[in-house]
Amino acid sequence: MEVAAYLSPIIIIIVVFVFTPLAIILFFSFLKSGEYGQIVYTFTFENIGAVLGGGYGKIFLRSLYLAFQTNVFCILLGYPIAYYIARYGGKWKMLWLFMIIVPSWSSYLIRLYALKTIIGSKGIINELLMSLHIISEPLQILYTPFAVTLGLVFAWLPFMILPIYAALEGLDRSVLEAASDLGATPFRRFFRVILPLTRGGLLSGSILVFIPTVGEWLVPHIFGGSKVMMAGSLVAQKFTAVGNIPQGSSLAIMLAAILILILYLTIKWGGREALEKAI
Amino acid sequence: MGGTGSPGEGHMKKKSVASKVLGALSILTLVFLWAPVLLIIVFSFSTNKYGVAWDEFTFKWYLELLHNDAVRDALTRSLIISGVTVVVSTFIGTMTAYGLFKLNFKGKQFLRTSILLPIVFPSIVTGSALLVFFTRLIHVPLGYPSIIIAHIVFCSPVAVFIILGRMQRFDWSWEEAAMDLGATRMRTFIRVTGPQLMPAIMASAMLIFPWSFDDFVITYFVAGVGSTTLPIYIFSQLRFGSSPVINTIGTLLIAVTMTGMLLAFLMQRKLKQAAE
Repeated sequence: MEVAAYLSPIIIIIVVFVFTPLAIILFFSFLKSGEYGQIVYTFTFENIGAVLGGGYGKIFLRSLYLAFQTNVFCILLGYPIAYYIARYGGKWKMLWLFMIIVPSWSSYLIRLYALKTIIGSKGIINELLMSLHIISEPLQILYTPFAVTLGLVFAWLPFMILPIYAALEGLDRSVLEAASDLGATPFRRFFRVILPLTRGGLLSGSILVFIPTVGEWLVPHIFGGSKVMMAGSLVAQKFTAVGNIPQGSSLAIMLAAILILILYLTIKWGGREALEKAI
Repeated sequence: MGGTGSPGEGHMKKKSVASKVLGALSILTLVFLWAPVLLIIVFSFSTNKYGVAWDEFTFKWYLELLHNDAVRDALTRSLIISGVTVVVSTFIGTMTAYGLFKLNFKGKQFLRTSILLPIVFPSIVTGSALLVFFTRLIHVPLGYPSIIIAHIVFCSPVAVFIILGRMQRFDWSWEEAAMDLGATRMRTFIRVTGPQLMPAIMASAMLIFPWSFDDFVITYFVAGVGSTTLPIYIFSQLRFGSSPVINTIGTLLIAVTMTGMLLAFLMQRKLKQAAE
C-alpha cells in the first residue's frame, strides 16, 4: 500500500513512458515502410537484417569503437585533473569544480559549433599553423574520425572528471599513509592502492560517458557530416529526413538493446552503487 | 588529501614536480573546455557579421537580440517547459527517493535499475521511442504536452538519485520523534521531513533546470512543427553557420549559469552556517 503511495508516479513514468515506447519501436522494427512512408503491417526481418549484416552493422561497430576511444581519452585527460583537484586543489577546489561544471551546463549546441569554428579550415588552429609556416595548406580536421572523437571528448569529459573526483575525495587518508609508511613509492602507491580504490569512480564515469556516446547524434552530425556517421546519425536520418519509421525503429531498438546489455554487465560487475553515487 | 606521506626532503621535491606537471595538464584541460566558450564571448562583441572573427568592439548584436521576436518566443517557450518540468520532476523525485529509502519490497533493485535507464540512455533512443509512442499509440499532441512529458521522463530520475544521495546522509531522528508522537508517515513527511529535505530538493531543482532547458535532441524529436524552443531555434540558425546573435545568446546563457551556480553555492554555505 505504502509502496503504491510513494512510488506509483515513477512506476507510471517508467512503465508507460520508457518501457512501452521501447516495446512499440520493437514491434515497429518488424514492419515495413510503404512507398509514401506509411507503415505496412507485414512481418519482416529485413530491418534487423540490415543492422546485423549490411553496412549499418559497420556503422554500429564504428560507434562502439569511437565511444570506446572517447572513454579512454576521457580517462587519460580526466584522471589527472581530478587527481590534481582532489590532492592539490586546497582552497581553490570549489573554483576548479566550478570551472569544469559551468561550460558543461550551458548551451551545448553553441559550444559544439564554436569548437567546429576553431578546428575548421579557416579556424584558429589552421591560421596559427599556417602563420608559423608549419603547414602551407589548411589541414582537413573536420569530417574525420579524429574530429568526431575530439568533439565527443569535449562534450563528455566533465562527466568523467566529476565521478573520479568524488571517488578520490572519498579515499581514506589513512590507507594512503599506511602505503607510504610501508615504503611504497608514489608510483607504486598510485597503481596498487589509489587506482584500485577509485575503480568505482572510473566505472560510473565510464557508464556516464560510454553509453550516451555510442548513441550520440549531434557530435557526428556537426563534426563528421556525412563522412563519419554513427548509429545515432542513422536513427536521426531515418526518422527526420527519410521518414522510414520501421527502419528507424529497428536501428533505435538495436542501439537500445546493445546499451541495456552493456549497462546490465557493468551493474553486475559492481557499477550500480558507484553510478547512483555519481549522480 | 594534501600533504600525505613522510616529510623527507627528496620526497617533498618529487611531489612538487609531480604536482606541477599535473597542474599544467589540468590547466591545459581547462583551456580545452573553455576555449570555445571564450570564443563565443569574444565574438559576441565583435563587429564581424558572421561572428567568426575579431574586427571591432560593438554592442549592436545585443541590441539586435532585444528586438528579436523569434528569440523571445523561443525563450518564453523554453522557460515554461523547464519551469513545469522542474516542479513536477522534483516533486516526483522526492516522493520516489523517500519510498526507495524507507520501504523494502520485491522488485526494488529492478525498479532502481529501470530508473537509471532514462539517465544513461542516448537521447536519440528516448526521443525516437517517445515520438513513435506519441504519434502512433496514444496521440498526445506534439507541442507543449509531448515536450513536457518527455522532459519529465528524463528529469525526474535525476531528481530521484540526487535526493536519494542526500537522504543517506540525513538525520532521521526528528522523523522518528514525530512518528513516535503519533503522526502518520504522510503527515510527518509534510510537516517534518519534507522541510528538512529542502536543501536537497533545491539542489535537484538547480540541476534539473539546465538539463531541461538545454536539451535539444529529445525535444527536437517530440516537438512537432511550430514548437520552437531556444535550443531548436539555435540549431536552426547554426545550420547556416555561426552568427553573432547566436554568440550573444551563448554569452548570456553562460553568464546566467555562472550567476545561478554562485548563488546556489552561497545559499548552501549560508544554510550550513545557519545549521552550525
